[in-house]
Amino acid sequence: MLNVEKIWKQYVSEDGTPGGGVFGESFEVAEGELFTLLGPSGCGKTTTLRSIAGLEEPDGGRVTLDGKDIFNSDTGVAVPSYNRDIGMVFQSYAIWPHMTVLENAGYPLKVSRTRSYSNAEIKSKVQEVLRTVGMEDYIDRPATQLSGGQQQRLALARALTREPKLLLLDEPLSNLDAQLREQMRGELQRLQRETGVTSIYVTHDQSEALALSDRIAVMNEGKIVQLGTPKEIYQRPTSEFVANFIGKTNLIHGDVHTAVGVNASAKVATPIGDLLAYFTAAIPAQARIGIVIRPENIVIQASASSSDGMAAENRFEGKVIREVYLGEIEEYEVMLDHGIIVTIRTSPGKPISVDDKVLVHFPPEHTIALIED
Amino acid sequence: MEAASKAGSGDKAVFAQRLPGTASQKSSWIVYVLLTLLILMVVPPLIQLLQTSLYDRSVDGQTLTFTLEHYLNLFVGTRFLELVLNTTWYSVGSALFAIVLGTMQAWIVERTNTPLRKYVFLFSVISLGIPDVLYTISWILFFGRSGPYNEIMMFLTGATEPVFSVFGLWGMIIIEGVGWTPLAFLLISSVFTSTDASFEEASTMSGATISSTFRRITLPLAKPAVLAVAILLFIRTFESFEVPTLVGVPGSFYVLTSDIFLEVNRSFPPNYGQASAFSVGLMLIVIGMLYFYFQATKQAAQFQTITGKGYRPRPMDLGNLRFVTAAILVLLFLFIIVIPMIMIIWMSLQDFFRPISIEGFSTMTLDNYAKALTSSDFGESIGNTLYLGVGAAALTVSLSMVCAWFSVRRYKHAWLIDQLATLPIVFPSIVLGVAMIRLYLNLPFPIYGTVLAIIIASAIRYMPYGMRYAHAGILQVHTELEEASSISGARQMSTFFRIVMPLITPALVTCALFIFLIAVRSLSLPILLVGPNTQVLSVTLYTLWLDGQLPQTAAIGVIWTAVMMIFSTIFYIVSRRSGMSVR
Repeated sequence: MLNVEKIWKQYVSEDGTPGGGVFGESFEVAEGELFTLLGPSGCGKTTTLRSIAGLEEPDGGRVTLDGKDIFNSDTGVAVPSYNRDIGMVFQSYAIWPHMTVLENAGYPLKVSRTRSYSNAEIKSKVQEVLRTVGMEDYIDRPATQLSGGQQQRLALARALTREPKLLLLDEPLSNLDAQLREQMRGELQRLQRETGVTSIYVTHDQSEALALSDRIAVMNEGKIVQLGTPKEIYQRPTSEFVANFIGKTNLIHGDVHTAVGVNASAKVATPIGDLLAYFTAAIPAQARIGIVIRPENIVIQASASSSDGMAAENRFEGKVIREVYLGEIEEYEVMLDHGIIVTIRTSPGKPISVDDKVLVHFPPEHTIALIED
Repeated sequence: MEAASKAGSGDKAVFAQRLPGTASQKSSWIVYVLLTLLILMVVPPLIQLLQTSLYDRSVDGQTLTFTLEHYLNLFVGTRFLELVLNTTWYSVGSALFAIVLGTMQAWIVERTNTPLRKYVFLFSVISLGIPDVLYTISWILFFGRSGPYNEIMMFLTGATEPVFSVFGLWGMIIIEGVGWTPLAFLLISSVFTSTDASFEEASTMSGATISSTFRRITLPLAKPAVLAVAILLFIRTFESFEVPTLVGVPGSFYVLTSDIFLEVNRSFPPNYGQASAFSVGLMLIVIGMLYFYFQATKQAAQFQTITGKGYRPRPMDLGNLRFVTAAILVLLFLFIIVIPMIMIIWMSLQDFFRPISIEGFSTMTLDNYAKALTSSDFGESIGNTLYLGVGAAALTVSLSMVCAWFSVRRYKHAWLIDQLATLPIVFPSIVLGVAMIRLYLNLPFPIYGTVLAIIIASAIRYMPYGMRYAHAGILQVHTELEEASSISGARQMSTFFRIVMPLITPALVTCALFIFLIAVRSLSLPILLVGPNTQVLSVTLYTLWLDGQLPQTAAIGVIWTAVMMIFSTIFYIVSRRSGMSVR
């Protein structure tokens, strides 16, 4: 459906020093897929999106939509954005304040050069699309009288009015308050599934990305560092960056002596002792290893109670140094040997408190070994 | 006069440019068309001026001979030096006068709970409607030998002779200073609004009194910006023409602008060469001062923190002192609008020059108005003036809107547009007049003496102001509003007309009104360019005054001022609504 090949864009700031950019990025988006570009600010995700939209011209690379080049630096093709048949929701929504809801949403039809629409046609089309976003009652409202959430729906409606091949969403939820954000997230997902429109979603919010996407491309410093389903990205990060960026994580350093293949398990020597870990990438012998374990995956037990049911492997003794009650979960910080501290999350109600001696267990399938970044 | 704006608050005001400084820029052929146009507007007057100052034309006008004589004259004898010193004293005095009154007024209005403070903006803007010539004349009448001021002083001191002669340095300083007070106020009040009031609140919470907060916090914070405004006022008075020629010349107090004018206007044949050399000298001084001005504004910008959201600090409670500050505001109102208007209205109702007196009421007549309204000259003059104002506004606004759009959206080479369009700030009006007169006379087609000639000169002169308004207007349009149109399938032209234009219309209307107002009230630009059949009102008033036809001057002035005040009131309302404050 959409093919992005090695797009390259280097920014240079006014004083001539190189700024951020996108460096040789490639990916494919399948028909009907919701594809997310996730990363910290300045990682190049928005540049990628704007290059697809035609709002930014890459220095090199190729973008094809439905088999047709919309950008190709080799052949010099650069279809202007108004000819790309792409809908886009902007971070600021970009609702035109001098128009009504109808005029805003009907604008793509009004300026269409492939065919001309009568006002009645535009109105019925707009009514239809407004209904899908729950805004049909506001059709004659001036745009200035809309709340943030309504503007967001309108922006979405406008992007869908002319049934584009591709929908681009540039951090669409970042300007909403927390509660509204969650609600809109759900609606966005429903709408995307219903309309089946191929979408690319840009966000720096990992929970948004995990909840919405079919696939996620995690970006850092202008490159895609990992591409996969939300589950793969969360459970099998291939780099410390991804592990840290997505959710809270514990990191322990260690060494392997022999080479390890991808998706294999092997022992890693760490300061707290040997750890059996799962390797998401092939690792050469004598490599420095980072081991990541999610706090919710670590099992904790008061050492007074028997160690029954806790495997002997990957089991360590420690002392609770901090306890934080977070409502639906309880968080402990436990000091292991050599001053290594791990964070552990469990359901609340365990009879464990600060200064207690505890046993912790790292289940091998959740103990992920990576090459140190 | 300086025009600019601060960003309005609300959603529209998000500043654009998400990626500062990008390598690959959009390019457009229109940029080069604009560049050519601007070069044609800005460069020829400059070259003309230099050429005129360096070449003598033979009597038959056929041959040019190179000469450095005019420049040597700048240093031979003390004439030029004396003029520079005179101009400096006069400018320092008037700028100080205006800045002190303006700052006081701005602080009272922006930071205290003084009654009536809300109306100061309105009357400051309305005062823009009084033509400079008329304003100056009214003050000459007020301070004149038999004017109210001398009458009162003679009564109070028992003197038998008038105690104050307006024609001289002090008269010039006072009249020019009062004239610039509204502008000083508008500029400084925007300094106060853009400086976070919580600095002052923090001082109050630390236990400081109102006066020590003002002294230790408000003033030091405002100092760089006030300094910038002071330099600006200094430049403006340095290039001012109306007061020097109406007040200075009769008292044999000459400054650069009045001298340049006299070289052209009162000597025969006009000494263009000398006037041009003096003009170049004046321009160089102005350029030097502009450098300091831009340095100062850069400094000032460091203290400015726009709090956004239209946040207005709670005004300081002055207690009973607030009636004193209110009295100050009323007094300033009297001086800036009421007294000048009373003087003019009084004169317009008399059959010949008569000081204000009780007996004068019995000789009041409306004859002057009847004469003015039935005179075809007056009608023609009004027509020309409106044509000038509308023409200059339309030309300046349309050009600066397109220029500013390309420059704000950072098109390739568009920064050059910016530079060229702001270049005319180095031309004092009288200098541009000298340059344009020479240019027009050398053109193969007959443009000299037409209103169009004045319109073109005005457009060049006011382009920098137009650019500042248009810039600010376009900055308020978030780039994404345009991108959303493009991605909706609209071409660039379509986006410009459907999205950009409607969104910046308020800014453009404000800009157009402002250009209109300053174009029609100015005397210094048209005075050298008018032809026998293309009188404009400011020049008509000036000529009538020189001819000693005072009552008629006054009547025409009153009618015209009334019309202009309507325009300036509309300007006030529109600029408030568009979120563009007047600077």
